[in-house]
Amino acid sequence: MAPSLPQFSAARIRSYVFRLPLFTRCIILVIVLLWVVSYQSVWDVIQWGALIPKEIGLSTMYRTNTFPLIHAGFFHALMNILALTPLLERFEAEYGTLTTLALFMGPLSTIPALMYTFAETAVGLNTTVLGASIWVFTLLAVEAVKTYRTNPFFLLGDVKIPTWITPFVLVLFVSFLVPNTSFLGHICGLAFGYGWGLGYLKFLAPPEKILRWIEGKMNLLGRLPHYVSVDQKTYGRFGVLPTASATLAGNAEAGIGLGFVGASGALLQRNPKILKLPPYLSFLCIVIGVTWLLVLPLNDYSRKTYISENALLPGQVHTYFAGSDQNVFRGYKHEVDALENGSNVEVNDKMEEFFKASGLKVARQKYEYKSAGETYAGENIYAILHAPRGDATEAIVLVGAWRNMEGVLNRSGVALVLTLARYFKRWSLWSKDIIFVVTPDSKAGPQAWVDAYHDTHKSPAIDSLPLKSGALQGAIVIDYPFDHRFESIHIVYDGINGQLPNLDLLNTVVSIASGQMGIGVSLQQMWKHSDSYQDRLQTMLRGMLNQGLGHASGPHSSFIPYHVDAITLQPFGEGWQDEMAMGRVIESTFRSLNNLLEHLHQSFFFYLLMHANRFVSIGTYLPSAMLVAVNFTIMAIFLWLKSGSPLSPKEKVASTEAGEKQPLVVVEKGDAKALIPVDALTVRERELFLPLAIVAGSQFLGVVPLYIFNHTNQSMLPIVFIIFAILNNFLSPVLSILLTAHFNPTRQQYLLIKSFSLLLLGMFLSSLATLNFSLAFLVGLFSSPLTWIQPVPNRPIVKILLGFLLAVISPTVVLVGASWAWGLGIGELLKEAAFGWDVWGMNTQVVVWCVWWPAWIVGGVLLWGKPGEEKEGIKAKNRS
Amino acid sequence: MRQLHSLLLLLCSLLFAATCAASDYHEQLLLRPLHPSLLLASFNFQSNTSWASFEQQNFRYFPRSLGQILQHANTRELHLRFSLGRWDAENWGARPWGGSREGGTGVELWAWVEAETDEDRADGRWLTLTNALSGLFCASLNFIDSTRTIRPVMSFQPAAGHANSTLSNLHLLHGTLPREVVCTENLTPFLKLLPCKGKAGISSLLDGHKLFDASWRSSEECQLQITQTIDMVLDIQRSKRPRDNPIPRPVPNEDLKCDTSKPYHSDDTCYPLDTGAQLDDWNLSQIFGHPLKGACPLADDGVDPVCINVPHAHHVYASGGAQEHKDETGYMRCFELAPEGNFEMVLPKQDIMERAPLEQPLLYAERSFIGYGQERGGVQAILTNPSPSESVDFVYMESLPWFMKLYLHTLKAKINGNDEDVIQEMYYRPALDRKRGTQLEVRILIPANSTVVLTYDFEKAILRYTEYPPDANRGFDIAPAVITIGNVSIRTTSLLLSLPTPDFSMPYNVIILTSTVMALAFGMVFNLLVRRFVGVDEAEKWDIRALRLRLAGLIKGLVRKFKRKAEKTE
Repeated sequence: MAPSLPQFSAARIRSYVFRLPLFTRCIILVIVLLWVVSYQSVWDVIQWGALIPKEIGLSTMYRTNTFPLIHAGFFHALMNILALTPLLERFEAEYGTLTTLALFMGPLSTIPALMYTFAETAVGLNTTVLGASIWVFTLLAVEAVKTYRTNPFFLLGDVKIPTWITPFVLVLFVSFLVPNTSFLGHICGLAFGYGWGLGYLKFLAPPEKILRWIEGKMNLLGRLPHYVSVDQKTYGRFGVLPTASATLAGNAEAGIGLGFVGASGALLQRNPKILKLPPYLSFLCIVIGVTWLLVLPLNDYSRKTYISENALLPGQVHTYFAGSDQNVFRGYKHEVDALENGSNVEVNDKMEEFFKASGLKVARQKYEYKSAGETYAGENIYAILHAPRGDATEAIVLVGAWRNMEGVLNRSGVALVLTLARYFKRWSLWSKDIIFVVTPDSKAGPQAWVDAYHDTHKSPAIDSLPLKSGALQGAIVIDYPFDHRFESIHIVYDGINGQLPNLDLLNTVVSIASGQMGIGVSLQQMWKHSDSYQDRLQTMLRGMLNQGLGHASGPHSSFIPYHVDAITLQPFGEGWQDEMAMGRVIESTFRSLNNLLEHLHQSFFFYLLMHANRFVSIGTYLPSAMLVAVNFTIMAIFLWLKSGSPLSPKEKVASTEAGEKQPLVVVEKGDAKALIPVDALTVRERELFLPLAIVAGSQFLGVVPLYIFNHTNQSMLPIVFIIFAILNNFLSPVLSILLTAHFNPTRQQYLLIKSFSLLLLGMFLSSLATLNFSLAFLVGLFSSPLTWIQPVPNRPIVKILLGFLLAVISPTVVLVGASWAWGLGIGELLKEAAFGWDVWGMNTQVVVWCVWWPAWIVGGVLLWGKPGEEKEGIKAKNRS
Repeated sequence: MRQLHSLLLLLCSLLFAATCAASDYHEQLLLRPLHPSLLLASFNFQSNTSWASFEQQNFRYFPRSLGQILQHANTRELHLRFSLGRWDAENWGARPWGGSREGGTGVELWAWVEAETDEDRADGRWLTLTNALSGLFCASLNFIDSTRTIRPVMSFQPAAGHANSTLSNLHLLHGTLPREVVCTENLTPFLKLLPCKGKAGISSLLDGHKLFDASWRSSEECQLQITQTIDMVLDIQRSKRPRDNPIPRPVPNEDLKCDTSKPYHSDDTCYPLDTGAQLDDWNLSQIFGHPLKGACPLADDGVDPVCINVPHAHHVYASGGAQEHKDETGYMRCFELAPEGNFEMVLPKQDIMERAPLEQPLLYAERSFIGYGQERGGVQAILTNPSPSESVDFVYMESLPWFMKLYLHTLKAKINGNDEDVIQEMYYRPALDRKRGTQLEVRILIPANSTVVLTYDFEKAILRYTEYPPDANRGFDIAPAVITIGNVSIRTTSLLLSLPTPDFSMPYNVIILTSTVMALAFGMVFNLLVRRFVGVDEAEKWDIRALRLRLAGLIKGLVRKFKRKAEKTE
């Protein structure tokens, strides 16, 4: 008999469990009982029954029989039961209950136990053994020898591997992988098994005549349920099925298996208990997802950061940026201060002069962006420090925007860039070019420069760069807009669309600032961080919010989409660190980046930071967003099944007479025939057109707000938004009424609408979770109530309450809430979003208007919907 | 060696020339201050030998080691160039020797090999040549295989003087190794080829940490010539730092050169003066670490060994015994060295702002990658003709590796931003995967005062994992483009191409895990097979300590017996 993998299905497992023979059941029961008993403290079951070689004597021989029944713990017992049951069932079905009883209570446990005892005493050891695994291996060996008879080898390439060896391999694996297992014990079991399988030990079996006599006399077959007769062993567990051809039998089994799989769907459709489960399962998914996120800041679930790329060697060099360079810095700062109110061109003329005096090559770039009716124009200036012996293949960037994100003059920052340019020029050790970029603002300028560097800019609005260097390997931005001393450094690391720089870059700066310079580091505007759970959670949530919004959080953000790792350093607070300390942090960071042999790639690109020294990586946090997304998918599959199930039997029974026999149908498959109730084979015809049209239509409708909000003039944005928000709230009821009036969808069609909508939502969110985890999680959370929204035609109060809830979680209301929380006008928020769309290539809007909003609209349609009368759409359909 | 050079270009050229003179050798060092505070030092060594003595293997000035290789490989003309860094044409003007003695970043080698119209034979001799030179110059020249070799059609011309009969049998082969880092180990063999080895003459100034570039040409006529040149650009400020303290620490406050006219100028605030505007004071031993160790006695007297390109108004002091010759142009003076003793040259601090005029280059060339991502990319070359009146006709040559798959239809030349047909002629030989690289030669005519932007797109091939070099995956270097304008040549910088890279650490992790499991399995079995299991109480019967104790007990017993006997006898 060729080994074939069992086909798993709920129905099959159930029937298998119900058909377990008597002795197997008893053994399982005894094992479970003994395990339960072992929990009380009065009688130490393990000490009583375990096989302890030194304790074996004539009076304690019982141990050789009891030890397989006693287990050390729950998992031990469970694993052994799981392994033993199918093997024992097979054995019993083949040899009969009585033989099995005799064997397992006698030689099968005693002989291996004695072998083990002798072996142990021979080498002077005294290791206690417990558990049924010895039987498992005995039975496995028996089976392996049986397999070997029919199928002596399996081929691995050209190598013939005898099949009898498999249990031995298993023993080895178990002893390597599972702690505290007895290798010797298993080997003893195996030895006996091989002996039995090869027939040398058959004499131990009780004579058949006597067994038959006992069975006959006591009428065991009649009295005991699930008893396997001695007679049956002639045919074994396979009954009367022909075993002439292995392949044929295999096919037949596969066919039957498939039938069962098909039937499992039907089982799900029929079983009212299972049908009730998915909504709760969905809810559980969301709860676990959120809880998962909340436990991440704990020590057990997050990790300490570490430098993965050894070439970086952060903080291993002495820094020399001090002394008279501070005088130069002050000089440059006076120059910068004098230019505070100068025009962009005036500033750049001066900058050019400064850079040229330091011996660098200077170039300029004009740009002009248009967004929401506004023009963002300016001129970038940048200088390239050629690596003294380099060949222009790689470069690192130091950016100092003239005005930072808040529009404040970056006075110390720009002066520091100028001083560092002059200082770096003196060194001959650079292996990469250094590019110093001064952009007029922090939003459009850096984007224009990076785009042009990679030649993806839109000419002629944005100039090409007249001067270029090699591949960019990293970028550091200084944002230092005040001129007093500072306390700590705030690192901003979020990129556009939630992309993040390599964690190694951040770790390098953290280790240099805190380790080498003694400057504290903070993230996500957590000016005070006590490393407590609350602070960690808050940092993480702020990080997620920034990531979810997908906007640029500093000039560095524009670099990240081009796979150039970048961060912004912002000094803050009142302390005793001066600007030279800041310069030394940058010097040391540049020395580290200079060491890089290859692009930063070692460490994580997907992470959540909760402290400068603590993070969770994607493997740990992803399940939470996935669970939230999966809740929609579960519900969608459930609704699909539900939509296909026939009308509830109550309605049917009411129309027909009770007690009527169900009609049966003959199904033929190959040679096999079966009688199956007709009901199990009928599936309701699903009317797909309307649901598909509604879901697809609402998805396409998402393009409308996307277009409107990205192409409206800034002054019109608040008005357009208010109109849209009002219309938005009436859209779904109106749609619903129109739908009811014209098509009068049935209950099934409503189920299908919901199913498709949730399916799409689940699919989008789970893919999005791998790209922008935070956005997927936030959208998933906001749309989670949609899982349970359904038509409630006869309960107006519930309907209104739900309608109110639905309105609260609508994208527009959430947007208003967010703008209120940040103290921004809705117009500003939308302008920022349009700017992001036009300049940064931000695609958060796409997710909001084309994923979240359509799902929300469909939710509204469902809520206000009124299912029509069920039509006669039930048709019997043979499912194979 | 100190941090001397901001940029080094070392060239060595070896050629057979047509003039029929007796064997001779001469050398010259030309110093030219460059803006800002840089110094170009060009070393030129030239030796001739007659064809007859070359054939008879009678070498005097010509290095025997190289001569024999050339004879063995039937090479008529050879150029070998090593370089590092880049030439800043905007600030430094035209290249030394018109660019005809420099190579692209890394190693560049081309040669005319004689073979009777048979390409395979020429390839075989090329292989011999590269392998032999690889040993001679301690460079990985043997890695110039068929994928890195091209046969330029328009770009290179053999030196004058080859007989027409041989010319038809000559094969030009060209190979590049942009990744090769030029280092001291290449300088030592270079110096060994010189008649004075580096012991005397201008070569005594040469000192490790240099990269160099050698080229040689041949002719069939009666004479042979080898030219070896080294050009290097040194940063004067950096060279002047003391040898034991090369770190550019901030200067003391009082030494800071500030603009005192600024209103905010004070003790702790300083606007730095442009240091580049001033002339630096320097002397030879500061720049090169030691003075020149006398003239090379083998050199001809006719050529002055040291020249400096500064206006005559500048003060230049030389050590005693050296004779100064000023030429008529007003910007060049040369020194004839005394045969004995060291030579030292000093340029004192002076307030004259005049500088020797820079020669304007014929063309500015810049090349860079455009686009991003792992699949496709593009190359953009910006070529500017600065001349207000002359148009320039040049050949642009690219030798690309096979894994950079060029799309020829995307090749476009824009002149001053407009699409115009400036490509005169084109030679293109497509790549074959893993066999040969792409060869592209384009002849372009740039009108006066205009810029041509040449762009093309390419696709990045996916390499087999064994084809990645074993080092850290920095990327793949793409050889510089060669631009030939008559006998002037210009080279762009090399490029760094990043290809899609598998996660090499993953197989490593798998290997680690598998090895652990294997080790565990083996250890378990081995342990069971070899270990002898004994009881704790039996254990001491078996080890050496037990044996020792037993012996000790035995001895003690004997002693006691003996004592008892002794007592008894008493």
